[in-house]
Amino acid sequence: MTTSRPRPTSPHLSVYHFALSMILSIVHRITGVALYVGTLLLMVWIAAAAISPEALEIVHAIFGSWFGQLVLFGYTWALFHHLLGGLRYLLWDTANGMDHPAREWIIRGNLAGSILLTLLAWAIFVWF
Amino acid sequence: MSERISKANIADPKTSFGSGRAATRHFMTQRLTAMANIAFTLFFVWMVVRLAGAERADMVAVLANPFVAIVTALLIVNVAVHMRIGMLEVIEDYVHDARLNRFCIMLNTFFAILVAGGTILALVKIVFWG
Repeated sequence: MTTSRPRPTSPHLSVYHFALSMILSIVHRITGVALYVGTLLLMVWIAAAAISPEALEIVHAIFGSWFGQLVLFGYTWALFHHLLGGLRYLLWDTANGMDHPAREWIIRGNLAGSILLTLLAWAIFVWF
Repeated sequence: MSERISKANIADPKTSFGSGRAATRHFMTQRLTAMANIAFTLFFVWMVVRLAGAERADMVAVLANPFVAIVTALLIVNVAVHMRIGMLEVIEDYVHDARLNRFCIMLNTFFAILVAGGTILALVKIVFWG
């Protein structure tokens, strides 16, 4: 017996209705990779402090340049986004907050929270 | 994809599909280190805001504090474990050539050891020799 119905296909990205959670899923991975590379910044900073005042001066000059500050600002956002994203996945691991519209608000909170915390951290750093 | 998943190679760590033996442990370890990282991240942000741009003497004074030094050392180890598993998943997803896959996994391990080891060495220097 033949049938005109198409055979079931393996689900792939293109078959799903677009959702913001997809973007945040890949952003979680990208920020994770960025933080991975960025651990070198922490190591270099502490190592320079361990070596000599001159070494620390060099690191300050690089980290304090406009490009360094830009990278560190991006790193701050990546850190907070990955932190909040991690909390989101730990919550979803318990199968809570996965329904509509709760998940959409969690995702928006993730995005807004990461930007807010980044600005807050830099505001404290710059003003205090 | 260079090779297909089959019963013969699904759990073979020499393929690019990842080790079937370590997968559950990686899953659990990733979540445990993630939970620890919540507290570590808050500590890290405090440390960076406190010490960013600080003179060497100031940095040494703060980092030589036993609590700060020990927490920073634990932080970098926890982060190294977490980021190694995270990058392992990325490698398993995107690097399909079996030999290149294994090479990347090896580099990944070296990087995690380098970052954790380098940071701890620097901390030890600061704590014991200023």
